[in-house]
Amino acid sequence: MGINILYFGMLAEITGQANEIWTIKDGLTVGDLKKLILERYPKMRDKKFKVAVDQQIGDDQTFVSIQSEVALLPPFAGG
Amino acid sequence: MKKIHKPKKVFMQGPISPQFVADAIAKHQSKVSIGAHAIFLGQIRADEKEEGIVTGIEYSAYEEMAEQSFHEIREDAFSKFDLTCLHIYHSLGIVPAGEISLFVFVSSAHRRAAFEASEYIVDEIKNKVPIFGKELVGPTGSYVWKENK
Repeated sequence: MGINILYFGMLAEITGQANEIWTIKDGLTVGDLKKLILERYPKMRDKKFKVAVDQQIGDDQTFVSIQSEVALLPPFAGG
Repeated sequence: MKKIHKPKKVFMQGPISPQFVADAIAKHQSKVSIGAHAIFLGQIRADEKEEGIVTGIEYSAYEEMAEQSFHEIREDAFSKFDLTCLHIYHSLGIVPAGEISLFVFVSSAHRRAAFEASEYIVDEIKNKVPIFGKELVGPTGSYVWKENK
């Protein structure tokens, strides 16, 4: 059991995969998770992205439950 | 009583054809309470980039969240404006320059609601829906990630 992290657009190119399962400890926030992700993928440091938790855009204080679906979303380009 | 609108399929693979738009208009001829349609069509520009001329955009999306965002935008539009009908279609995959990637079709009894709603909806789509685009440039397969302003 773990969180499913989805990568889109240029972020999926950096990670080389569309998603991965991470086991995290309980009580992490989006801010905490971002730190861990940037440690694993330093190339993301200069990229702009938003984080959605269970399909809702979150901020650094948003709580991530241990079964959440977390998506890293680069700038939108619809239209 | 508030009308409940079912989530509708928005995404289409590849460009949206002019025939599809024409057929959508024809389907509304039986709805005679409508007095105004506003149609917005997003077309792919052949912008000139450092890497070359844009030949098309390849769209991808976080589809589950995007469908939900489209649904919320529709519900908001129905509550803000006095609309009879509202349809949104967006491409996924490659859309060549000059072709249509977004079709917003708003119908109301009178023109003002249709004009205002169409602008509102297009702005909301650009800001809130997790759709991503690669601008394909030149003949060599290079690309630039697009970002809405």
